[in-house]
Amino acid sequence: MTAVAETGVGTRLLRQVGFWPVVTALVFVALFALLVMPIVNIVGLSLSGKDAQSSVWANYATFFSERFYYQTLINSIQVSLAATVLAVLVGVPAAYFATRYDIWGRGFVRAAVVLTFVSPPFIGSYSWVILFGRSGLITTTLADFGISLPSIYGAPGIVLVFTLQFFPFVFLMVSSGLKSIDQSIEDAARNLGSGELRVFFTVLLPLLVPSISAGALLVFVAAFTDIGTPIIIGERFRVLPVLIFGEFVNEFGGRPILASTLAVLLLTVTTAALLLQRWFAGLHAHGTAAIRPLTIQEQRPLKRLLASAYVLLLVGMALLPIVNIVISSFLKANGPLLIAEFTLGNYARILRTIAVPLSNTIFYTTAATAMCAIVGTAVGYIIVRRPGRLGGLLDGVVMFSYAVPGIVLGVGLIVTYNEPPVILTGTSAILILAFFIRRLPFSVRSSVSMLQQLSRDTEDASINLGAGPGRTFLKITVPLLSMAILSGVLLTWSNTIRELSATLILQSGSTVTLSIEIFNEVVNANFGLASALGTVLILLTFLPLVVLFTLLGKREEALV
Amino acid sequence: MASTSVRIEQISKRFGEVTAVDRVDLSIAKGEFFTLLGSSGCGKTTLLRIIAGFMPQSGGRILFGDACIDDVPAHRRNTGMVFQNYAIFPHLTVIDNIAYGLRARGLPKGEVAERVARMLAMMRLEHLGHRRPRELSGGQQQRVVLARAIVIEPDVLLMDEPLSNLDTEMRVHLRGEIRALQRQIGVTTIYVTHDQEEALMMSDRVAVMSGGKVEQVGTPVEIFHRPQTRFVASFIGESNFIPAMRIGSGASGPAVYEVPGGGRLPVPAERASEVGPKADIAFRSHDLVLGPPEAGGWTATVADTQFYGATIRLVLELAPGHTVQVALTGRAGQALPATGARVGLALPSASLWLFPAAAR
Ligand SMILES: Nc1ncnc2c1ncn2[C@@H]1O[C@H](COP(=O)(O)OP(=O)(O)OP(=O)(O)O)[C@@H](O)[C@H]1O
Ligand SMILES: [Mg+2]
Repeated sequence: MTAVAETGVGTRLLRQVGFWPVVTALVFVALFALLVMPIVNIVGLSLSGKDAQSSVWANYATFFSERFYYQTLINSIQVSLAATVLAVLVGVPAAYFATRYDIWGRGFVRAAVVLTFVSPPFIGSYSWVILFGRSGLITTTLADFGISLPSIYGAPGIVLVFTLQFFPFVFLMVSSGLKSIDQSIEDAARNLGSGELRVFFTVLLPLLVPSISAGALLVFVAAFTDIGTPIIIGERFRVLPVLIFGEFVNEFGGRPILASTLAVLLLTVTTAALLLQRWFAGLHAHGTAAIRPLTIQEQRPLKRLLASAYVLLLVGMALLPIVNIVISSFLKANGPLLIAEFTLGNYARILRTIAVPLSNTIFYTTAATAMCAIVGTAVGYIIVRRPGRLGGLLDGVVMFSYAVPGIVLGVGLIVTYNEPPVILTGTSAILILAFFIRRLPFSVRSSVSMLQQLSRDTEDASINLGAGPGRTFLKITVPLLSMAILSGVLLTWSNTIRELSATLILQSGSTVTLSIEIFNEVVNANFGLASALGTVLILLTFLPLVVLFTLLGKREEALV
Repeated sequence: MASTSVRIEQISKRFGEVTAVDRVDLSIAKGEFFTLLGSSGCGKTTLLRIIAGFMPQSGGRILFGDACIDDVPAHRRNTGMVFQNYAIFPHLTVIDNIAYGLRARGLPKGEVAERVARMLAMMRLEHLGHRRPRELSGGQQQRVVLARAIVIEPDVLLMDEPLSNLDTEMRVHLRGEIRALQRQIGVTTIYVTHDQEEALMMSDRVAVMSGGKVEQVGTPVEIFHRPQTRFVASFIGESNFIPAMRIGSGASGPAVYEVPGGGRLPVPAERASEVGPKADIAFRSHDLVLGPPEAGGWTATVADTQFYGATIRLVLELAPGHTVQVALTGRAGQALPATGARVGLALPSASLWLFPAAAR
């Protein structure tokens, strides 16, 4: 009876207020509860003192007066900036060669970049430890010949791993940027007497500034907020995200005020980076669209060889960790020591424990992906088709959520939902909601761009023929976007399934996921098991992408 | 068909600084084929979309019959709209496209099928019913969206440059077809175009728009032969404007104006008193009559001769800095005046219009 009455009320509300106002209101409520409130709460906590007299800035004063704390911020900025600069330096030429030259192994390069891009975030680091760590394969082999390598631990190792793991951001952004430049622009510059290098620096590079800065921002934010890599190879080199994580694990929920303060600092830096990039890219935006994009050009053999060697070497190095994980998953392991002997033992052992994390991972990922698809499409629709003050606000909130790192969101959700009226800590729901909010901006952005390509007249025609807004959305918009929505779903899945940083903070024993499981095995130095689990995770990440790139014919630029 | 008259009262639309539609008043009779004609950006689409309910007006109101429809949402207005770029539903077959509006109205299956079948027959689309839009030509797609808009028996049919994406031959063919169809079913139609030939040929009445305002409303003949504003005179047909000075008061007869080249042209007295002594005279290129030069008459020098096949255009210099265009019908064996030749001119008094002098 009540159910019937409620549908009655719901329908009447829809009738009176209209379909989109109701949806908009629901979206605002969700964003408020899952994004705004958590952020407001950590900001609030960070400004609260232990006692009434202390200044609201007391926590920040503590942070900036104790070297133990503020050094982590300096460290974080240093490694992230270094990784960003290096990623740009190696990524831009690689993208240029791969899109402009007839290099060998183009298909391999594309696949390798995608694989690198989607590999679980910390797999790179522990793979490098397997190879170059203190008791690593290559370190020990070379030691037998009396050669000692520089240490992989600490800042240089972190920068190396970040660079190789994140340069695909730059590579993909610049590739797609190059494809939006018309061949005639380059031809004109050539025709006016510029050589290749001059054309690159005077014409192409200026046009690529928005793409490069967007790629650089992604590298910086990813590096600045990463927890896995610094924990695994950072050793005594401490960065800000690890400090936050430490505050949570050493004494669960013990010092939420400190953790919140740190999280706000992290958020401030990422937001500032985002705004800086927006502003900078805006200054250099030219709004080019290519009718005939830049073409691949034949090169003389030597140039071709050198360019191919460079690109293949780079992606080869980036791919090395993944190959290494897959191979070592079939090797006997004795703790961190791998023995060159084939075995399926690692898989046999994980078989016993994998059920819970695997089903958790799949369930959370699927649920979050579905929510992203539905809410993301609706929000994109509101932004594109119903612009106005609310649409603009929604756009702003969603864009802001780009800058919210997983770990900050994790802290925010914990401090918001660990006490009545709503307690979610330790539940599956909090993980699903976190995954959902983290990927939502990406879903929104992709639905915005697909809606912008869809002529508005088609929907107006439906309205004009008497279908209401809700019916039009379901019967016209959604079917027309179904392929785009499907590819969005596959992308969301691949990106969500390997989430680590928010999960590390939000998970409890029963809600453990695959990436947590791998992380734990790595920290406990069970490299064989970690590799077997890692291989499973890589497969789960990669399969949807295979569908995306082969069946749906997407290009790898869709990833960024 | 339950068609209706439309009244547009003081409708305005502002986008920030831009006034796209400026206090437009129109009254369209039931069953009339009414065209909004104007160059790009003059606000035709905006006005049409306001009538369809896709955007709210900034001011004014719209009545269908006697009912104000300002508060009726777009999907309840019962206007059938045909869009410039078709807006065909690409994922639905021809039949489903046409049935869409009927289904949205919740009509029973049988009736939907019957009305769609009738529509397919009427538009000669029977053999295409199960095709998808991408398997249709542009002209066929346009017929489908027309069928889709008509089948719901709209109160008003709205068409926004429906033919502009088609090639010339298809366009000429379809405009005849649309006109015939509209006569047959008698639906009130508001048609938007920037093509004056289309407007003149199809419409019962035309509203010429410029800068968001309606310049003149009238039958095609009125619009063409009796332009009331300078803009209409210059926009429709090919017109010349020359400065004129009153030299005879015309207390009893017509006033006389002198134009460059020594021409003296008579103008009805009351029009002359409206406009004043300094004026511009406008006339169509094809209305100017050439003859041998006469002493004391209106003369000009041929500055250029342009051969277009069916027409021949001459550029005539009346006096230094004052040129006009003349269009002659090209006949076989016709002798063309040579460049530099002097010719005499005459203009029938029915073919000239007097406007206040433009600021120069
Ligand atoms: N959504 C909008 N926001 C801002 N300005 C608009 C918008 N829509 C139209 N305009 C402006 O209003 C004016 C009239 O536009 P409209 O589309 O009605 O012209 P039109 O007569 O249909 O032109 P065309 O023949 O090119 O289709 C133009 O100056 C246009 O730039
Ligand atoms: Mg228009």
